[in-house]
Amino acid sequence: MAVENKIIIRKTRRLPTFGEVLVKQGEIIREDTIIARGRVRNPELVELRVDQRLGVDPYNLSGYMLKAVGDAVKKEEIIALRRSFFGKSTKVCRSPIDGTIEIFSKSSGKVLIRGDPLPVEVKAHIPGKVTELLPREGAVLECKGSIVRGAIGLGGETHGFLENLVDAPDEVLTNGLIDKTHSGKVIVGGAVATLEALRKAASVGAAAVVVGGVDEKDLTELLGYELGFGVTGQERIGLTLVVTEGFGANPMNPEAFQLFKEHRSGLACVDGTTQIRARMLRPEVIIPF
Amino acid sequence: MVANNGDAFLVVDVGDTETKAALVRRENGVYRLIGTGEAETTLDAPELDVTIGISRSVESLSGGRLLGKDGPEGVKLLCSSSNGGGLYMMVSGVTSMISGESAQRAALGAGAHLVGIFSKDDPRPEYRLIETMRETRPDMFLLAGGTDGGAFNQVLEMASIIKNADIKPRFGASYKLPVIYAGNVEAREEVAEKLTELYATRAVDNVRPVIERENLGPAKEAIYDSYMEHVLTHSPGYERLAGWVDSPILPTQAAIGKMLYTYAERRKANLLAVNVGGSTTDIYSVYRGVFNRSLNAELGLTYGAMNVLKTVGIERIERWLPEAIEERKIRNIIGNLMVQQLEKFSADERRIIGALAREAIRLGAEEHKKLASRLKGINIRRTIADTFSQSLEPTYLDMGDTPIIIGMGAAFNGSLGDSTTLLLDSLEPLYLTELYIDRAGLIPHAGMLLGEAPEAAFSILTGETLQRLGTCLTPYGKGEGEAIRIKLMRQDGNTIDKSINFGEIDVLPILDGETCKIEATSGKGLSLGKGKEKRLEATVTGGVLGLIIDARGRPLTIPDKKDTIKKWAEALPPSGTETR
Repeated sequence: MAVENKIIIRKTRRLPTFGEVLVKQGEIIREDTIIARGRVRNPELVELRVDQRLGVDPYNLSGYMLKAVGDAVKKEEIIALRRSFFGKSTKVCRSPIDGTIEIFSKSSGKVLIRGDPLPVEVKAHIPGKVTELLPREGAVLECKGSIVRGAIGLGGETHGFLENLVDAPDEVLTNGLIDKTHSGKVIVGGAVATLEALRKAASVGAAAVVVGGVDEKDLTELLGYELGFGVTGQERIGLTLVVTEGFGANPMNPEAFQLFKEHRSGLACVDGTTQIRARMLRPEVIIPF
Repeated sequence: MVANNGDAFLVVDVGDTETKAALVRRENGVYRLIGTGEAETTLDAPELDVTIGISRSVESLSGGRLLGKDGPEGVKLLCSSSNGGGLYMMVSGVTSMISGESAQRAALGAGAHLVGIFSKDDPRPEYRLIETMRETRPDMFLLAGGTDGGAFNQVLEMASIIKNADIKPRFGASYKLPVIYAGNVEAREEVAEKLTELYATRAVDNVRPVIERENLGPAKEAIYDSYMEHVLTHSPGYERLAGWVDSPILPTQAAIGKMLYTYAERRKANLLAVNVGGSTTDIYSVYRGVFNRSLNAELGLTYGAMNVLKTVGIERIERWLPEAIEERKIRNIIGNLMVQQLEKFSADERRIIGALAREAIRLGAEEHKKLASRLKGINIRRTIADTFSQSLEPTYLDMGDTPIIIGMGAAFNGSLGDSTTLLLDSLEPLYLTELYIDRAGLIPHAGMLLGEAPEAAFSILTGETLQRLGTCLTPYGKGEGEAIRIKLMRQDGNTIDKSINFGEIDVLPILDGETCKIEATSGKGLSLGKGKEKRLEATVTGGVLGLIIDARGRPLTIPDKKDTIKKWAEALPPSGTETR
């Protein structure tokens, strides 16, 4: 666990592909400002045995293809056609999706169609100023603030106003402390959050829970499976969780607890993404000033 | 660079977090370890240059100035590396069980971490294979398939899939991914035609030239070369380091494998070695001259701890604990082993680490059995005689014919007694077995020395790093009452007679290196040899713990009673006796 107090925070916000950057150099942005927008490759790839549908040998299939690699196709559009018996019998192969012909294998008679690219955008995540533009990719942002880095987290980026629900770092965050008014808030607990508290926080629509510890068994219950690897960020548990110290009941680092207390009702930008081995990426809570 | 005459070697292993240097020098005709030094590996900002960490690890060594601005001075520099998690490889073959398995053996044998295995008989649709290849960015690809003059079209189809995947290397898209082709020699040209535009391709001899024989050497050498030329050069400082070293930089696991293989060959004995680290469990074996390595990625004692729990379940961890610990506490400790890089451990943490290590090794050994096997795809005619023979057993792994077992890695950093029971519990050695640990962690360094100065390699291995815990005698079967009666005749003329009951572990006090004759007889239901022999006469060598008798029988039954587990855990002394 680490606390970096009153520092200049820089964040590089980059699309996973090339696209359009929507902000200008020097522009003041909010945490939910869209920085850049683009389209990424669609993971949906449909395989068609065109040779079988047309009843031809794969090596003779080229002559029946109406579309080539790289051609765009619409759903139900004919991509290959075979007429026989002087045009009286027709067999066709249609695209099941909107997309592009990506692969045509003359040896296997297979055609692979990839779905149309998906729109993607990257938001600022922190409020601040655009200090550098990354052409076609995004921007570098800067703000003043403090960062609390935790031990492990679940879920991705979110933000909300801080709501301290316990008075001391060694107190337990229970479900009785949470209600509907915490919708969209970043709830700060003490030494440990109970499973019921985490479930209640998710059910009232809290953006995040930041707490010193959580029982590994409760985390498994919450996820529905054993975590296994220390690589997180994609979990769908209804909120983002940042565990600052570790598993079990661990009083939150007093410096971090005090920081959250001082900034009660202030904005917190939270990211549960953790990669313990691959890149040593720890979950973080940013408090911009 | 100052010239050297081969009398002094600076041997450096660059790990993920630690760089370890050893200075070996010939004095009076004998190679000696002058000293070792350690420093943090410098591959993270702001110190993005591996040579900084190397220089620091060398600074603490006595022996004068060894590294200057332009490289080594008066010493030969040898280097191995496992930074960034080591060498990430994908392999493919035409069939998963034949060429695919040979490709796996070649890659693992060369010290790689397998991140993808593909074949034409893969049940996944082609597009899934392509997706997986694209998403998992490896350092290198080994394409095998077909015997020489055999399968042709399938090899080209696999090459087409690799082409269509347009796989980018792990360290960036600015260079081509190395693809080594080690399949049907007749398809070389066509494979090169398909792949050369996108990949740095090279062809070597087939890993499976005929169905009955494997030929892994050329593929392994090509992996080493490509690792140096294409992979390491993209890590900061390695280009400079490449100009300093006197032989190619090896993957650390390859250096370990080379040393273990040569040691087993020199001892003319089968060998099994386990390396349990923070995130992986490696198993190496040499049976009847055949080397194999298997790797269980993400099973370890820190980063891999929660994955051991996930794989085996809580009950299999709990069963090894000498005292009951509440389940929530066990789970939290295991979670914290992963998320907090602890430097000191409580008693409970140590016990749980011991349990995790036992399960990681057991899983590793099970996995190893599949890979260390006779070649699949060969048509075997069974005869009545085969029913009574081991020759057609599906795996080489045979604990009744494994006279040498070596433990390596963080799991063996505890007391000598704990290291010994860890090997006994997890691998269940049978009959007579010598147990060792890699005390100084210098097996990779010894392996690097093999090519330049084999005597130096063996001097470091046997004189500096391998510590013989003891020879262990274990009967097969289940019994009750007296399990073993043993008479031990020491060289000083003293004789020890002892009876050990079933279910007990005991130790007889002989010195490390002392050879003694033993006469042992086994109790009812137990045997001391493959022919169900009840009597054994042998000459054994003592280790730091003496001669160990494990009378718990085999297969080992793990009792529910915590008292018994506690007795087992405390049966051996934590430290050893004097060395002869």
